[in-house]
Amino acid sequence: MPEVLGNTGIMRFVTKLPFRTQINLGITAVVLIFAILSALFVSRIATNAMLGEIKRRGLSLGLSLAGRIADPMLALDFLRLKNMVDEVIESSDDIVYAFVQEKNGQILSHTFRAGFPVQLKDANQVPLGAQQHIQLLDIGDGDIENQERVYDFAIPVTISQERLGTVRVGLSQIKAQAAVHRLLFIIFSVSLGAGLVAVVLGSVYARTVTRRLDILRKSAEEMIKGNLEVQTGPVLLQNCWEIKDCSEDHCPAYGDKHHRCWTLPGTLCADCAPGDYQEKIEGCRNCGIFREIAGDEIQSLAEAFDVMALSLNRNIAELKETERSLTLQQRLLKTVLDATPDLVSLQDDRLVYHAVNPAFCQFFSLQDTDILGKAARDIFPPSEADGHETEDLQIIRSGVPISREILVSQDHRQRWLHLVKVPVYDEERVVWILCTARDITDIKQYQEKLVHSARMTQLGQLAGGVAHEINTPLGIILGYTQMLLEDLIQDSESHEYLQIIEKQTQICRRIVADLLGFSRQMESRMEEVDLNRSITDVLQLVRHPFKQNWIDIEESLDSKIPPIIGDPEKLKQVWINLLNNASDAIGQDGTIWVQTKLCPQGRRVLVSVADNGSGIAPEDMKKLFEPFFTTKAPGAGTGLGLSVSMGIVQGHQGKIAALSPAPAQFFGQAATTRNPHGPGAVFLVELPLSSEGQDDDSCDEIWQDHTPV
Amino acid sequence: MTCVRILISLLVCLVVATCGDSESAKRIDLSQREEVTVYRPENAITYAYLPQYAHTVSYERHHLVIDYLSQATGLTIRQVFPDTFDEHMHMVGRGLIDLTFSNPFIYTKIADRYGARAFARIVESQGQRDFRGQIICRADNTSIRAIADLKGKRLIAVDPTSAGGYLYPWGWILENGLRKEDFAEITFAPGPGGKQEKVVMAVYSGKYDVGLIREGTLDILTEKVDVKQIRVLAHSRWYPGWLYAARRGLDPAIVERIKQALFALDINNAEHRPILEKAGFIAVIPAGDDDFSSVRRLAQIVESGGNP
Repeated sequence: MPEVLGNTGIMRFVTKLPFRTQINLGITAVVLIFAILSALFVSRIATNAMLGEIKRRGLSLGLSLAGRIADPMLALDFLRLKNMVDEVIESSDDIVYAFVQEKNGQILSHTFRAGFPVQLKDANQVPLGAQQHIQLLDIGDGDIENQERVYDFAIPVTISQERLGTVRVGLSQIKAQAAVHRLLFIIFSVSLGAGLVAVVLGSVYARTVTRRLDILRKSAEEMIKGNLEVQTGPVLLQNCWEIKDCSEDHCPAYGDKHHRCWTLPGTLCADCAPGDYQEKIEGCRNCGIFREIAGDEIQSLAEAFDVMALSLNRNIAELKETERSLTLQQRLLKTVLDATPDLVSLQDDRLVYHAVNPAFCQFFSLQDTDILGKAARDIFPPSEADGHETEDLQIIRSGVPISREILVSQDHRQRWLHLVKVPVYDEERVVWILCTARDITDIKQYQEKLVHSARMTQLGQLAGGVAHEINTPLGIILGYTQMLLEDLIQDSESHEYLQIIEKQTQICRRIVADLLGFSRQMESRMEEVDLNRSITDVLQLVRHPFKQNWIDIEESLDSKIPPIIGDPEKLKQVWINLLNNASDAIGQDGTIWVQTKLCPQGRRVLVSVADNGSGIAPEDMKKLFEPFFTTKAPGAGTGLGLSVSMGIVQGHQGKIAALSPAPAQFFGQAATTRNPHGPGAVFLVELPLSSEGQDDDSCDEIWQDHTPV
Repeated sequence: MTCVRILISLLVCLVVATCGDSESAKRIDLSQREEVTVYRPENAITYAYLPQYAHTVSYERHHLVIDYLSQATGLTIRQVFPDTFDEHMHMVGRGLIDLTFSNPFIYTKIADRYGARAFARIVESQGQRDFRGQIICRADNTSIRAIADLKGKRLIAVDPTSAGGYLYPWGWILENGLRKEDFAEITFAPGPGGKQEKVVMAVYSGKYDVGLIREGTLDILTEKVDVKQIRVLAHSRWYPGWLYAARRGLDPAIVERIKQALFALDINNAEHRPILEKAGFIAVIPAGDDDFSSVRRLAQIVESGGNP
């Protein structure tokens, strides 16, 4: 059918017209066609009915006359006969004539003037046994213009089935048809009027419908433009809260004249089902309010449109919220991936990279555009790519994650990476491989240090044990040697040998003492110690021998320092070690600065021993306090001095550190006047006044840039 | 497209159906005229039935008798229809009615006034040679139980010249001691013909309390009214029935021929039976003026004693 319509030019033309015009045209066409058809049909029926009625009237007049005329016929009452036929002709304009005949045809009375028409007498005979006979007669003068036709009704006058005569009545067909024409005129006028009224009413109806459709169209256009705040449904004249005399003013439907209550979620009426429109509407159809204020289909469509707009608006708001949330999450995820130092990449099951983080790009010195959309073999050398590809394919096949440490070269440096490759499943199939790689080079170094430290600890314990065992025989050797020296003559060869033995034994004892100190196996005797005094005692011992090497010592001791709790001998050993090291670093011609000061909180003291010697090489700084580490010539030192000193300081809950070159603050006034020997170094020792009530942060400004041991 | 075709077809059908089918008309020239001759009665014996009923009833009852007489006697006999009893009597007197079929009361008048002479009388359907009148009222009129109850009532009779419908029952009322003054109203049936029926209808409708009719009238009206609603209060005495009389001066030979023909009617004759049944009698027997002396006396009583 649509094809047929589409093929007709008229339908194409009609479908291009505005909808309102189409309705008007349709109504007009239908009304006119049916008005014409009805008028024709009704006029035909009415004409027949009217002609039938006219004939019946003529017949009725004749029958009436025949029924009444028997008496005057029998009585030969010509006056009554004449009166009766005249009454008939006077009863209606369309009666042309009336007359009565005896059964032998003799005219008894008639209505003609100036004689009776001879031909009329036998023009209409009633057949034998018939009740009447109607004959159409043409009584015109033969001219077609003056044609006049008459229905001639012949009704027998009978008494007891005995025919007495015949009554004849002539009824003008033209006048009868004039009445028919008047009727037809009325019918056509009424049809036309009814048609016009129908067209006007149809036009009003079409206007009503199209106006509402136009509102719908405009609302749809607004929605296309993105404006979802549309109001398509009409403002309600009746409202639910008025009908139900409701006072729930916090109900969403209360006071809303633009939306029907069943379109709003969360209404508070007891009859309302909970939920949105789709959950409520079925229950609402049985509600009295719905039946009372629900409109027609177009209104329902407009309201559904509003509900749709409202729902869309709400959904779009939710979508925007979701989008904001997703964007935030995406940004957070990106921040995490961007900020993490770990290398992160995501490959699909064809090993093509879909995501990499900046650390990954940076590690391989590539841009993400060089990586994304490509497989490993397209990016990395075959020697590297092949191994990864094999590994990745294995993960896809087996679904077993891989975690291992690898050593890679980067910028001519060896780096340790902890590589983790995890399969990501979609249902039961591996579709992604998430790869993370963390640089664990530093951790590896820490691990090595830990191993080394453990080894040193074991070595110290071994050395301590050995030294302890050797110390006693050495004492015996030294005792007997000294006894023999007393017995032998001086300057004798034996005496000289014994002195050599004594001297070497003394060296051995010193080594053993160092070893015992390193292993902390020497007993501590904690007591009040005047720190400045302890330092001064040591300075008095070393000042003279140092002087021989043109080394000066300048001290700046804080007199406010209260006594501290410590082992005076061990502390002195620390000072001797530090002063010896400073002297060794200077060699000849230099200055050693010794300072003491009370930390600001007054709970810790700081001792600094600075020199302007050769300083400490940076690579040696980390190994400085390791046992047996020495930069001195073999035999010149055991490499245990600083290690022992560190052990003593730590035994006093203190801290020790070295700085090189030494900051100027640790040099005294003389430093500016003398030509410094080298970059110099300073050793810092911080000790608490007592082992209780420590305050770690007392001299923070000192340790700010230097990590203490 | 199909719809359009259907619509067009429908339209064409309607238009075709609407176009009138012209009837054929017989051509008549009205210009040829003739003067209708005044009715010329042929030279015939006139026969009249006293118009106690409508002309059509009179015709219906007697046209077969007339046809029979014409056939039996070879005479031309024509029925005439006077409108009233008086006209009937006058027409006999003026010689316009040759043969009259009248009641005995009228006969005594036309015999006494115009010299008419009875030559035959009929035998009623039930075989009686005499007949009588009836005094009727509505069956539900409980105030009338006897003749005496008629006092103060409204009375209607057929005609002052009616035998069964006035003379006979009124004579009976007079004999029972009532007089004209005892009635609230005494009137006669209006208009020409059908007067017996009019009296019955007047009582039936309640317009009058009591009516005087000829016996046999109620039988005629069984199809028009529910005669059960009518109660016959009383009957008059028996008097001679209807008769045939010839006007003064009618050729006795003609009277004889007619008399013989009438006497020849036999209810057992298949040809005569419908004639007699239509006419309402079963035989015609010879009669003379003396047979009606009792009627003549009653008339005198009525006229002298309380004739309204």
